[in-house]
Amino acid sequence: MEFKELDPILHSQLRLAVMSLLISVKEAEFTFLKEKTNATSGNLSVQISKLKEAGYIEIIKQFNNNYPQTICKITPEGITAFENYVKALQSYMTL
Amino acid sequence: MTEKESLELITSMINKAKNKVSETGTLYLFWGWLILICCIVEFSAIHFFNYANGYYIWFSTWLFLIYQFFFLNKKKKERKVKTYTDEINIFVWIVFFICLSLVIFIGIRFQKPEMIYPLILVMYGMPTFLSGIILKFKSLVIGGVCCWILSIFSVFITGGYQSLFLAAAVIAAWIIPGYLLRKNFTKEKANGV
Repeated sequence: MEFKELDPILHSQLRLAVMSLLISVKEAEFTFLKEKTNATSGNLSVQISKLKEAGYIEIIKQFNNNYPQTICKITPEGITAFENYVKALQSYMTL
Repeated sequence: MTEKESLELITSMINKAKNKVSETGTLYLFWGWLILICCIVEFSAIHFFNYANGYYIWFSTWLFLIYQFFFLNKKKKERKVKTYTDEINIFVWIVFFICLSLVIFIGIRFQKPEMIYPLILVMYGMPTFLSGIILKFKSLVIGGVCCWILSIFSVFITGGYQSLFLAAAVIAAWIIPGYLLRKNFTKEKANGV
């Protein structure tokens, strides 16, 4: 059986949690991700930047009633990476 | 993090995203009551006051449509998350609005006012039924079917009584499900979902 390597970008608790949330919805605000992951703003901010650098998510910054708003969206590359990660996990689990 | 922990984390996060508080029922109630009032006013104008132009009341719906546009725009900004279900549901109602406008226009153009009410009832059934399926909310599905049943009966009715069928349809399709959706929303909110 082929032994697949786990994507190091996704194999981190908070980044994987963010990707799992974003794969289920079309787009989500930073506050939604913070609330669901129970992460601190600083840590979450660093991790979503890493996901963005990898091209897995898209970050849209805008203003809502003069307040800054950050919206995150999974990219097609992110979906593929997530699917590959799950497949790799399954290959480990069936060993 | 082990492989098992990774899979558990993925499952838990997907479930958290699914358990979001969604439909409040506000727009169903808003349009349900508005259409119901229009139907009653039109019916009363014709049958109790002998005023043939009672249909003028329907022009008020345009004002409320403009209000809804601003209301939805505000809600869009307040929303923390947008699901694929939300997006499909929005398009279902956009398609409904376009088709309804065309049906009314065609009915007026060919001067077949007696056809307008049964066709409006057919149109009302479509988004209500589909929203019920998308939101997995049985009451809306039943409401949609009620609209179609009423459309069949309304074909055999004339003399301005068709507006009462429309009134019955909005009660079954929008007002009752609207209150049930609101009840669910309040319950979910209280449970902190």
